Amino acid sequence: MPSPFSPPNISLPLNPRPFLHLPRLAHSTPPTLPLLATCSSDKTVRIYSLTTFTLLSTITGGHKRSVRTCAWKPNLKGESVLATGSFDASVGIWRRYDTDDLNPRPVVVPVDFDARDENIDEYDEEEWRFAVVLDGHESEVKSVAWSTGGNLLATCSRDKSVWIWEEVGEDDFETIAVLQEHEGDVKCVAWHPEEELLASASYDDDVRLWKEDVDDWGCVGVLRGHDSTVWCVQWEGATPDVYGEVEGQEVKEKWMQRREASGPRLLSCSDDMSIRVWRRNPKEKVEQSRLSIIRTGSSEEDWVEETRLPVVHSRPIYSIAWSKSGRIVSTGGDGAIVVYEERWKQPNTNAENPGVGAQTEGIDKGEANGEPQTNTNGAESMEGVIGEGDATTDANGQGVTNPGHESPLQETEWVVVAQIEGAHGVFEVNHVAWAARRDKNGGVGPEQEELIITTGDDGVVKVWTLDI
Amino acid sequence: MSAILSADDLNDFISPGVACIKPVETLPKQAPEEINAYEVTTEDKIHRENAPPAQISLTDCLACSGCVTSAEAVLVSLQSHSEVLHALDSQPSIALSYLANNHGAQGQDGKLFVASVSPQVRASLAATYGVSETRAGWMIDQLLGGPEGLASGGKHGNGFTWIVDTNAMREANLVLGAEEVAESMSRDTQSAPSDDGASITTPKKPILSSACPGWICYAEKTHPHVLPHLSRLKSPQALTGTLLKTVLSQRLNIRPDQIWHVSLMPCFDKKLEASREELTDIYWRPSSPNSPTQTVRDVDCVITARELIMLADTRGIDFPNLPRRPLSSQIPFPDSTISAFLSTKKHRPQASEAGTSGGYLHHILQTQLFLHPDSTLTSTRGRNADVVEYTITSSTSPTPIFKAARYYGFRNIQNLVRKLKPVKKSRLPGGRGQASKAGGGMDYTYVEVMACPGGCTNGGGQIKVDDVALKPETAMNQKEWLNRVDEAYYSMTESEGEDEEGDSKMADDPLDNEAGDLVNRISPSYVKGILDHWASSTGIDLQKLVTTSYRKVESDIGRVGGAENERVAELAGKLGGGW
Repeated sequence: MPSPFSPPNISLPLNPRPFLHLPRLAHSTPPTLPLLATCSSDKTVRIYSLTTFTLLSTITGGHKRSVRTCAWKPNLKGESVLATGSFDASVGIWRRYDTDDLNPRPVVVPVDFDARDENIDEYDEEEWRFAVVLDGHESEVKSVAWSTGGNLLATCSRDKSVWIWEEVGEDDFETIAVLQEHEGDVKCVAWHPEEELLASASYDDDVRLWKEDVDDWGCVGVLRGHDSTVWCVQWEGATPDVYGEVEGQEVKEKWMQRREASGPRLLSCSDDMSIRVWRRNPKEKVEQSRLSIIRTGSSEEDWVEETRLPVVHSRPIYSIAWSKSGRIVSTGGDGAIVVYEERWKQPNTNAENPGVGAQTEGIDKGEANGEPQTNTNGAESMEGVIGEGDATTDANGQGVTNPGHESPLQETEWVVVAQIEGAHGVFEVNHVAWAARRDKNGGVGPEQEELIITTGDDGVVKVWTLDI
Repeated sequence: MSAILSADDLNDFISPGVACIKPVETLPKQAPEEINAYEVTTEDKIHRENAPPAQISLTDCLACSGCVTSAEAVLVSLQSHSEVLHALDSQPSIALSYLANNHGAQGQDGKLFVASVSPQVRASLAATYGVSETRAGWMIDQLLGGPEGLASGGKHGNGFTWIVDTNAMREANLVLGAEEVAESMSRDTQSAPSDDGASITTPKKPILSSACPGWICYAEKTHPHVLPHLSRLKSPQALTGTLLKTVLSQRLNIRPDQIWHVSLMPCFDKKLEASREELTDIYWRPSSPNSPTQTVRDVDCVITARELIMLADTRGIDFPNLPRRPLSSQIPFPDSTISAFLSTKKHRPQASEAGTSGGYLHHILQTQLFLHPDSTLTSTRGRNADVVEYTITSSTSPTPIFKAARYYGFRNIQNLVRKLKPVKKSRLPGGRGQASKAGGGMDYTYVEVMACPGGCTNGGGQIKVDDVALKPETAMNQKEWLNRVDEAYYSMTESEGEDEEGDSKMADDPLDNEAGDLVNRISPSYVKGILDHWASSTGIDLQKLVTTSYRKVESDIGRVGGAENERVAELAGKLGGGW
């Protein structure tokens, strides 16, 4: 099968030793600098340049066990801040002044949380400095995430709790919430891109949403549906990008209006091999009537499963990412990387559409997997949706509709646009992220190319380009 | 923390721990149970007797969802409403005639059943049954000691001989707490206490309240650095237990293990407190060659408000319809001075500023205001309603005389313990080393710490709004329910006194004393007098009676043999779907 993926144009050996655990990626590259942070079971965090694909720094010695997660703090100028979460139950905050010098400079920064006060005689202005350790979790920290504004940090752990920290002063963090409603290991936390709304995914098969009400954080929604561990949750970017053309402007407008009212959607992937898109049912505007006995202050959120992505993976899906341009990439235990695109749905096609490829592997699996899916849309009708048939031309013929969602109420559909098997050989792929391409064109321009970065259990970080 | 340790879902709140907590404590042995040769021993009973120290194998470890809490689970299950019934049925009461005369009950078999009741439990029941706090107290008295209560059934028709209010000893705690703070203020800091938490008489500043057992357990396990700050005073529950066991065993000439003391508390963690070795008779009993080797707890069993209802239900007693009046006849407590102190009702009203957790901080603030007549108190709400900062300033000086705070709830405790972390110099490399404000910075003299958000009326053992069948039109959420319980807690008023029958003793109310030193309606000199009387009449040093100690609970992780532990932790981590 022809693949739109270029062969990995670079691969970075992370560590020559075989890994007991897995190297993982920071969820983000810093907005201002072309950096990539990876973390690993060798207890280190490595910072790579995305312009030269070389190792810049290695942070060692701070964590006593595997570093499972790291995240760049957003909205910073002149300085980069990285949060790391480790199986040693602690979260570390690290700082580095930004410099223009992004040449390869592999420097090892030894830090020991306990002995941090001794032996630090030399201080390199341009290197990573340990700033704070956040203690409180009782067992392995599984994920850390900064809020969009950067003032809040969410962490989650095998101790079944989600903590929210506020940076109240420089290197001074306060615990503002300890949320304990999950009944199992919490695998992932992610902040809404526009609101202070947090999503968490857990071994208890649920996704939970958290928000502050007056001065107490509480659970405002439970997204049930997955049949097994939810490994990852990701938010849609602020502005959606639906591919293709649609005839009948009012369909598009209606869709956009609804999207506007709901805000960014939420994506979840699971051990049950499904990827689901969740949408908020916007609250009815409460009318200011005299009959105001009914309390309107409830902060409960109403979320519904909007759709599922085509089923392609044959093993648990560990990681998903939603790109700036609206594409989704997924990876997992089967070693496959799959890219999906949302398109305006073509009229009168559905299952008969040859381009949809009902006979593909993906849809077979979908049916094998297929429980009855509830139609989660409202009662809008879907008249006059016409497109250009563009969906049939995707490079590998892997366009697949979402089984069970041929509802005429659905204006858009997700199709597979790229797929590669065995991305890390026989190894599982544990994490995937998008990054803007910075090694050519200086990384600017309206048509910025997007890279896919994966980390595998082989201890290798791979960077992929997408030719579609 | 507190809300969690219900026997129903023990392991869900405190998470599975990475490491086993090493010393699974051996319980003080239970009093030997009378073996009835004809009674079939149930499995249930075998389990109840001396729980052996747990042996933890790797298999256990992998099968366990919360090894840190398993030891606690055992302790909690050993104290339940069925344990109360079991104790009542175990032996006949010591005949009342012996108690009434002055010769004591030496050589008598049988047990003496006594109970203590916390005001939060009364408030919870008051809100549930729509009665005043005083009446709720009477209902409890009727259940525990009245003819229509527990004594109406059971194998021996046993009820509780004395039922006391923990408020009395809470006031003793308040007076001693204010003294402890005054001492710490006058003491120079040159004699820095050692870090092990034990054998120190005065805690480091800021002194942290120690009445909340959830907080104490958490601090001992997770934050040993705060132990030197903990108030050395026993909680009202523990003080009441020590008082009852010492005075009754001495006056009645019976062994401490013949006294069976149940305490009614708002909180499950109080059961853990009752199981502490530090709160047993070996800490106060004079050593004598023929003294029994067993230790006897000062509080044998703790049950919560909800468990009290279950207790009544199990015996088929219609709790809501018990008489709402005081017990008609009570055998006088065998020490008239202490009896007067325990039954004093007049000084019970609680100011709402005192909070619902005993008012430790409030009393200390009132004491400071009393000592500095020109001063004023200001309070500042923190980030949420469970953090409040108090400052006392004199009109003559801009620098505060006294600063204190209230920290309730787990999340706020996190910030407190972080601020108390010893800060080392040059925490950060380079010139920005002093930027860290996270550690060491606290100018409070006293902090009242409670594990439950909202304090003790919100304890894990209290009756919840969902437990109460309310009419739809009166539907309320837990928050509103809590307000109602709080209201009941504050409603302990003197006005209720008029229908307190037979309280002619009011004439010699200790509060009518001439000392003129009333602080927060409490006379420190009177309370001190009672405490001195307690010490001298029992011949036990007062410090032994009223103070306790804390110790770091060791975790094995990261110690010698750490590799193996790490491996166990890695394996345990596979639960929950691995990484």
